[in-house]
Amino acid sequence: MDAKKIRSALADISTEQDPTVKSLKLASLCSALWAERGVQLVVVGGSAIEILTDGAYASGDLDMCHATAATLPIAQRKEIMGLLDAKGGPRNWQVAGMYLDLLGPVESFARTPFRRVEGPFGEVLVMKAEDLLVERVLVSVYPGENQTARDCAKKFIAVILGGDMAVNWDEVRRLANLPEYRNFPQCVKLVKEVADEFKVKSPLHPD
Amino acid sequence: MNSKSKVPCIPIEGSISYKDWLKGRRHRRELGELVAPGIIRRKSSSSDRRLKKLFNGERGLPFTPTEKL
Repeated sequence: MDAKKIRSALADISTEQDPTVKSLKLASLCSALWAERGVQLVVVGGSAIEILTDGAYASGDLDMCHATAATLPIAQRKEIMGLLDAKGGPRNWQVAGMYLDLLGPVESFARTPFRRVEGPFGEVLVMKAEDLLVERVLVSVYPGENQTARDCAKKFIAVILGGDMAVNWDEVRRLANLPEYRNFPQCVKLVKEVADEFKVKSPLHPD
Repeated sequence: MNSKSKVPCIPIEGSISYKDWLKGRRHRRELGELVAPGIIRRKSSSSDRRLKKLFNGERGLPFTPTEKL
């Protein structure tokens, strides 16, 4: 991406006032610049949930990890973020009126692909919905009851049951039974709760 | 419920276009609002100091109201 395009993208992101669109645009620009250097970035955590649900959940920071085995050396990260007039580094930057955190290698247990959204400056990889769902249900009860995480998980399930996001329920079942989570009963319960509100059969129902 | 959705679905395989992602925002927000409060942004986190400094005491930009999505 040439300097003119980068400046134009940066101006667009800086003036964007919708937090979810701003986050997607910044992820799109950073993903493109990293990809040019052979590293794939993926949006994770609350930022990923926000892109997939528009659930009014995320705060003003964008969390990304690298999906490729290696990330960029610090000098190259500094060079790219310098192009974006970013402050800080080498893992956290203030850029275009928000924060970007680069958290390290992505952790995923699902065998499904990362979700892909075509952003305005290039494709954005988003954490797998199956991982996000099972993890958010876990956070809603562990280490203690967490109402915000529960609301977030319910909204996530609602978007899936409403037909706006596809998931592999067999994979959700498998992940929730892994030693890393062991929260299948909680997943069943919460999915049933939303399914009942929507008057549809729960996809995690034993039948 | 699934069959009633008239907005583009975020797929497992392949990608969703930016235009379709934008088009589906309102419906995704509305689905969530059927089961939980509208805004569920956490009240605090370890990033509070930097966020509140940047966003005038808030933890991020205000969310666009659902009817304007």
